[in-house]
Amino acid sequence: MTTAPSRAEILHDIIAKLSEQTGVSFSGAINEETRFFADLGLASIDAVVLTETLQKHYGRTLPFHELIAEVGRRTERDLAIGELVEFLAAHL
Amino acid sequence: MPKLVANGIDFHYQQSGAGPDVVLIHGVTGDLSIWFLSEAMGILGRSFRVTAFDLRGHGYSGLPKSGYTSFDQAGDCLAIMDALDIEHAMLLGHSFGAVIATHAAVLFPARVDAIVLSDPCFPALRHLEDVSRWGHWQNFRQEAALAGVTLSDEHWYDLGRFFDQVLHLDGERLLRFRQAVGLPGFHRLLRLAETTCGDDAKVPAGLTEDLIASVTQPALGIFGEHSPFLATSDYLATHLPNCIARTVAGAKHRAPEENAAEFVRIVNDFLVANSSAVPMVKAAR
Repeated sequence: MTTAPSRAEILHDIIAKLSEQTGVSFSGAINEETRFFADLGLASIDAVVLTETLQKHYGRTLPFHELIAEVGRRTERDLAIGELVEFLAAHL
Repeated sequence: MPKLVANGIDFHYQQSGAGPDVVLIHGVTGDLSIWFLSEAMGILGRSFRVTAFDLRGHGYSGLPKSGYTSFDQAGDCLAIMDALDIEHAMLLGHSFGAVIATHAAVLFPARVDAIVLSDPCFPALRHLEDVSRWGHWQNFRQEAALAGVTLSDEHWYDLGRFFDQVLHLDGERLLRFRQAVGLPGFHRLLRLAETTCGDDAKVPAGLTEDLIASVTQPALGIFGEHSPFLATSDYLATHLPNCIARTVAGAKHRAPEENAAEFVRIVNDFLVANSSAVPMVKAAR
């Protein structure tokens, strides 16, 4: 039986996948307060691809649809990396 | 990320759900994330196998220099359906994506069961519209001017002129524009400005008024309550034999984002109603 990854491990995975996806080294530049759009200059399509990649990495289907739709309903459309960590910690 | 090659181009796509096929087509300068932000992928995925793809030159798809007419991209849509073994599908397109969906329905009627047209402006029906009289036009123009881009009443539809301006912004105007649209949006526009997309999107490319009116598949025209293209909505409901028109409360041109809940509910109801009707419609032809 495998144990669920810690928040630190999840953050590490997110940074690694984001670096692979964009070709930009984010090591040390991202923490849980970092905002996906405002701070990293990424777009919603980058978030869709990242969540799909994370799903594959963890080997299970996760309700990312709900998370991204929730972002879509926000007036200030953005996503803190910590929210993504929280989401994964709750579902893994 | 899931990719396939169609018409010699790499296309990024995403799928959800199971059931009859529905293919989602975003508009020019957009990408498939619109269908996630609006929850269309999740909600439609409860009843259908939903496939969304990034148009050529958009999102994570390849960037050819040319081939951006609705004719070319209807061909892309069909090639993507072939690559994914989608024999036939209902198509949902937003803005120019709806023009592509209509062109696909005309070119490949046996492959397209029904179409949902979200706020399209067809080049062949442009004479119906005068966006300069649209209530929000002056605000829109003012916002663009503040960002350093001039939009004219006469050429409101001309994306080619718009892209050309973006390509030649410099100094203070460049900075203002980049701040107004954000870095990802700015890069997206710069990429497209290097292609024929802007000029291609304004030509009928064979999708004449007569051909639009000849679409017999069940069709839903869905427009924002304050859309600039309500004359097109009336035209579709009047001229297409199986078309109904609906409006989305409070929305302007981008109903999937401006009132996502109502937009997706109306679309889902239409698709559910017509997925069971598809065999009967085909048999009656």
